[in-house]
Amino acid sequence: MSQLSVSRLSVRYGPVKALRDVSLEIPKGQITALVGPSGCGKSTLLHTLNRLTDLVDGCEVRGSVRLDDDLEITEATTDVLALRRHIGMVFQKPNPFPHSIRRNFEIPLREHGVSRANIPGIIERCLRDVGLWDEVSTRLDRSALQLSGGQQQRLCIARALALDPEVILFDEPCSALDPLASAVVEDHIAALRGRVTVVIVTHNLAQARRIADRLAVFWVRDGAGTIVETGPAANLFTDPTDPDAARYLSGERG
Amino acid sequence: MLNPLAAAPRRARRLDRAIAIAGGAASFSTLAVFGWIVWDLIRLGLPNLSWHFLTGEVETAGRSGGIGPVLVSTLLILLCCLAVAVPLGIGCAVWLSEFVRRGSRASRIVTGGVDLLASVPSIVFGLFGMTFFCQVLGLGFSILSGGLTLACMILPILVRTTLLALEGLPADLRPGAAALGLTRTTTLRQVLLPTALPGILVAITLGVGRALSETAALLFTSGYSTRWPDSLGESGRALSVHIYDLAMNIPNGSPNASASALVLLVLILLINLTATGLTERWTRHLSGTTS
Repeated sequence: MSQLSVSRLSVRYGPVKALRDVSLEIPKGQITALVGPSGCGKSTLLHTLNRLTDLVDGCEVRGSVRLDDDLEITEATTDVLALRRHIGMVFQKPNPFPHSIRRNFEIPLREHGVSRANIPGIIERCLRDVGLWDEVSTRLDRSALQLSGGQQQRLCIARALALDPEVILFDEPCSALDPLASAVVEDHIAALRGRVTVVIVTHNLAQARRIADRLAVFWVRDGAGTIVETGPAANLFTDPTDPDAARYLSGERG
Repeated sequence: MLNPLAAAPRRARRLDRAIAIAGGAASFSTLAVFGWIVWDLIRLGLPNLSWHFLTGEVETAGRSGGIGPVLVSTLLILLCCLAVAVPLGIGCAVWLSEFVRRGSRASRIVTGGVDLLASVPSIVFGLFGMTFFCQVLGLGFSILSGGLTLACMILPILVRTTLLALEGLPADLRPGAAALGLTRTTTLRQVLLPTALPGILVAITLGVGRALSETAALLFTSGYSTRWPDSLGESGRALSVHIYDLAMNIPNGSPNASASALVLLVLILLINLTATGLTERWTRHLSGTTS
């Protein structure tokens, strides 16, 4: 069953076409990786899914994105604050608030009406989920900025998990981390399979091969990004049909 | 054949050294000017300084007695000024940085107006204050008129510096907050303003410095009265006006002018140190090294 259905989606930034006519089914509980060269609209698609495109002046979205076959995400009347509670996001650069680790959870949880009494339990559960609890449980009131890059990124994942989202979007979550930290973060993303629907943009094909259930290959066609091939990751890596996708996935181009 | 690489580095190194020396000399000259001013004020002013001078009445037009009422009026004028200018300035900067598109017409008009305000000479603010606050609004020569005039004058520096602090925040804080479903108000109150607070304190400190050192804008608005002020509606002489009067209009006024100037300098220094201390404490609080 599809958690997210993208159909005939086109996005432009003023005169610049970023995405044209993209359709994609994102199945519930699986990990869908968006791959392809830079500048072919992968991040744009990601930002359309939680309406972060609203923050960009002159960004125009056409087509349809449906959550659970129910909510039309691109509709102007959609409650984006509630939407973003259901669809969380982790960015390329770790971006904890420059406050204490505890405040990083309190601010979003309080905003979404979680009572103070429940917050400590949520913090512990989410930090355990990303393997951070044992490392930081004694210094929750220290600044999140004192953590290492990898720890900060895991904190951001935990913070996204705290709102109990159905979907988490990852925008190249490991590309700013060293290889060891990257591996740890990747393991925790892989561990979300089955519990949360994951959509991940990555330039690391080996990573996509390791964790993705499904793959969508992006390419620039006629001056705009689009999806040239999509399917189960295993099939795509062994037997791609699109020639550009084939060369990209085999490491020959891109 | 000559090695073409041999000669250049020596010349380049010499230039490097020359620039370092010139830069150092410029820095020390700047420091020397400041040092000279301070030394002069201490030499001329310190002999007259005493507890009585700080708390006493102004006598014989300032030649004797103290500056007690003047200090009180100065602080009251400053409070009036900040009470109006700080909320207005921060509000304006927040609006410009968070609520209107950069480069939009509204943003260009407001920033243009603010910059224009910054380039207006203070004597013009004085004339404006006298006409508008004293006469049109009927506030008369009063501490309130002076404070409000000063507020107009320091608004640009507050807006510009606060804006700089807000625009200098890490770019990924805002999308990060938005992606967690935070409203703009929460993002501002819980994330952006606390993070920008050191920059905002700098803005206020610069504004205070500007306000305390202002004479021309206060001459026609808060007036010359050296009595203890009973209310904000009364005329009250600011420290800078007192110094000006002693130095320019009162024969044999210069010893006490120097002493008053020394007090003003120390006052500004204290305010600067307090702001720096607060900023450091807040930065430590955010980075969590205290707990």
